[in-house]
Amino acid sequence: MTGLHDARWKYAALAISLVVGAAYIYAGVSKLGDPLQFADSIAAFAILPTIFVNLLALGLPTFEVASGLLILVPRTRRVAALALALTSLVFFSVLVSALARGLTLDCGCFGVGAPSRSRMWLESGLNVAFLAGAIIVYLRSMPAPASQARSARA
Amino acid sequence: MSAPASINRLDPDRTLEGSNLARQVLRDLGLVMILAIASLAVGLAINRYLSQPLPLVYQTPEQRFDAELTTLVAAPPFKIAPAATMGLPEFRAAVDGKRALVLDARPSLFFEQGHVPGALNLSRQDFARDYRRLSPTLKAAVDKPVIVYCAGGDCHDSRLVANALLTLGFSNVSVFTGGWEAWSGAGLPAATGSKP
Repeated sequence: MTGLHDARWKYAALAISLVVGAAYIYAGVSKLGDPLQFADSIAAFAILPTIFVNLLALGLPTFEVASGLLILVPRTRRVAALALALTSLVFFSVLVSALARGLTLDCGCFGVGAPSRSRMWLESGLNVAFLAGAIIVYLRSMPAPASQARSARA
Repeated sequence: MSAPASINRLDPDRTLEGSNLARQVLRDLGLVMILAIASLAVGLAINRYLSQPLPLVYQTPEQRFDAELTTLVAAPPFKIAPAATMGLPEFRAAVDGKRALVLDARPSLFFEQGHVPGALNLSRQDFARDYRRLSPTLKAAVDKPVIVYCAGGDCHDSRLVANALLTLGFSNVSVFTGGWEAWSGAGLPAATGSKP
C-alpha cells in the first residue's frame, strides 16, 4: 500500500479509474432498458433465491452506473472503487461457479448476448482485471500511512 | 490549527495508522451499502416508467410462456412428452433436402443477425405474436416434420417452443439441440435479416 502513494501512481490510478468507470457505466446502461432479459440471465446461474432475482435485476444496473460515475469523482473515488471491487469479485465468483458446473450461459454482464463458454471465460478474465484495478484505486485513495507521511515531510 | 473533522475526513493527505485501517474499511463498506440501497430505490423508480415494468417476483421463462400460451388455446397447456431431439448431421440433411419446416426460437434480434437458411422466426419471447403472424404457414405444417432450434448450449427456448407446438396439435416436432452455435460453428451457410 505504501508504494501506491508514490507520485507515479497518481496518473496510473486516474487512468484505471477512467477505464473501470467507463466499463461499468456501459455495463449498467446496457442492462437498464431490458430488466426482464437481465433477470433471466441472473436466474440461469441458479445461485440466487427466486425472490431476489428481480430486485437484483432492477438494482444492479443503477448500482453499476452510479459506482462507475462516482469513481470518476476524486471525493467519492475511494468508496466507488470498493463498490466496484466487490462487484467484480462477485461477478468473477459467479462466472467461475457456473463454468465449474458445466453451464453454458449468457452472462448478461454487458447486455444481451448468446450463451457461450468462451465468452464466460473472457468475462471472468475481465472481472479479474477490474478487481485488480479497483483494488489499486481503493488503496491509492486511502490516506497514506503515518510513517510514509512523516518521511515525505522530512 | 487543526482542520474541522468534516474536512479532515475527506482529506486524501491525512495519515492513517494501522489500527485505523480496519475502521476505515468498515466505514467504506457501510457507504457501499448505502449506495446499494439508493441504487435499488432508483432502479425501482425507473421500472415504474418502463413500457413493460418488471414484476417484483420473478417468473421463469416457462411460467411466462405458459401464460402466453393460454392466449392461443382456450384451456391451460397440458403436460406432454418432450419433443424428440436430433444432432447436426440429421438436421443438416433435413435442411438441405427441405424435408422439414425449420423454426428459430431465438429473439428476432438474433434471428436477423444470422439464421439457418429457410428458417422462420417463431421466438419463445414473442411466441403468441409470432404464431399469429406465421399462422398460415404453420397450420399447413401441422402433420409435417417441424424442427426447432435456439442459440445452442443450455438454451431452453427450442424445447419450450417445440412442446408448445405439440400442445397446439402438431404431430411431428423435433429439437435440434446444437442450435445456432453448432450450425454457425461448423461454417454452414447462413441467412441474415428478417426473411427466411
